[in-house]
Amino acid sequence: MSIDQKIDTEFEPLIIGFCCNWCAYAGADLAGISRMQYPTNVRIIRVMCSGMVHPNLVIDALTKGADGVIICGCHIGDCHYLDGNITAEKRADAIKLMLQDFGIEEERFRLEWVSASEASRFAQVMTEFTETIKKLGPSPFKS
Amino acid sequence: MTVKVAEEWLNICGGCEVTILDIGEPLLDLLSKLEFVHMPVLMDHKYFGQTGEKTELEIPEADVGIISGGIRNEKEKIVALEMRKKCKTLISLGSCACFGGIPALANQYSLEELYDKVYRQSKTTDSADTPSDDIPPLLDRIYALDEVIKVDVYIPGCPTTPEIVADALTSLLEGKPFTLPERSVCDDCPTKREKKAITSIKRPLESILPPGQKLEESRCFMELGYLCLGPVTKSGCGGSEKTPRCIKGVMPCRGCFGPIRAGANPMVEMMGALSSIGLDPRLIFDRPSTFQRYIGAHGRLRPLPKRP
Repeated sequence: MSIDQKIDTEFEPLIIGFCCNWCAYAGADLAGISRMQYPTNVRIIRVMCSGMVHPNLVIDALTKGADGVIICGCHIGDCHYLDGNITAEKRADAIKLMLQDFGIEEERFRLEWVSASEASRFAQVMTEFTETIKKLGPSPFKS
Repeated sequence: MTVKVAEEWLNICGGCEVTILDIGEPLLDLLSKLEFVHMPVLMDHKYFGQTGEKTELEIPEADVGIISGGIRNEKEKIVALEMRKKCKTLISLGSCACFGGIPALANQYSLEELYDKVYRQSKTTDSADTPSDDIPPLLDRIYALDEVIKVDVYIPGCPTTPEIVADALTSLLEGKPFTLPERSVCDDCPTKREKKAITSIKRPLESILPPGQKLEESRCFMELGYLCLGPVTKSGCGGSEKTPRCIKGVMPCRGCFGPIRAGANPMVEMMGALSSIGLDPRLIFDRPSTFQRYIGAHGRLRPLPKRP
């Protein structure tokens, strides 16, 4: 097969997942240990708390090559740092406003709560989110 | 020995050239060391020879090249490339050259939309075809200088401060590098900050300071509700006086000196600065243009994708 030959492949999005150390990352870990299947498009970055993900990081990711960003934290009330996920929730509103200004679809960003024991929920959220991004297509900043 | 200088203006109003003349007395000391070999704004020096006898565009060799203005059309691109070829050190002068400047606000629209607006939709002009004869075609968008050619020294500002131009030229003559420090306008602002806005967002149409009040006694303009781009803008416009020029004139900063460091994202940082003192960014009309008034090149301002 020659290199020039066009290989017809489905669009594989690049998704960055910020997972909090105490709940979502442990949940992802459990999903792995339990051998649950979810798309490989998600690249997980462990952060200590979902509240520490600055909007800059999300915008930077989406304008420099990522097709979607998902932030996962503890359920409200379960935060290891008491109110970190409330900060994350407030920031999510601001991030959505910025996405409008940058001309990026709001659906490319999502905030989800996943506890340490919810491995199946983690796999399900990631599968759903990857499907959404696949439908949206590549990020407008990729061209 | 004199240093040869070539100056060129591209997509610009001419204010930055006036700044060179505005250096004042230090210019007299500088002029004895400089020899201008090409400067369309002051000298009659033609691109294709004085009588148009040459076939190739030509700019004389120079040690220092100064270019003001961004790149909007094919002609400006060719001139910029020629300048880079002939000049050993290249200075990009003014916000248009450094970040696209005010003209780069047009980067939010496609060329078709612009032509349509200017030649057909505008209520004050008669409908006409887009002109194409004997004028260089426009590029797809406005480019900052360093998107097309390599730039050695950046002097931002709209227009820039005469003192900085003099400093940059002096450092180049002495063979020293020239950079502006990474400080924000807020670092040099004399007003008092209490980190809490006392009112909602206003427009700077009425007087910000009550008559007779000194700048040092005033609260931060942003806390008074007047949108100021100081937190995300590089300082240096005040020169040796330190106090930023617009602040000194009792007007909020408009952001002409551009981002504080390369890779910064003023739009995101400005939203943070607004919400941290309790102002609602939703009340600001046309945020992308307001926060990036002078820095539309480098793909910062772009047409928004049409959503179904």
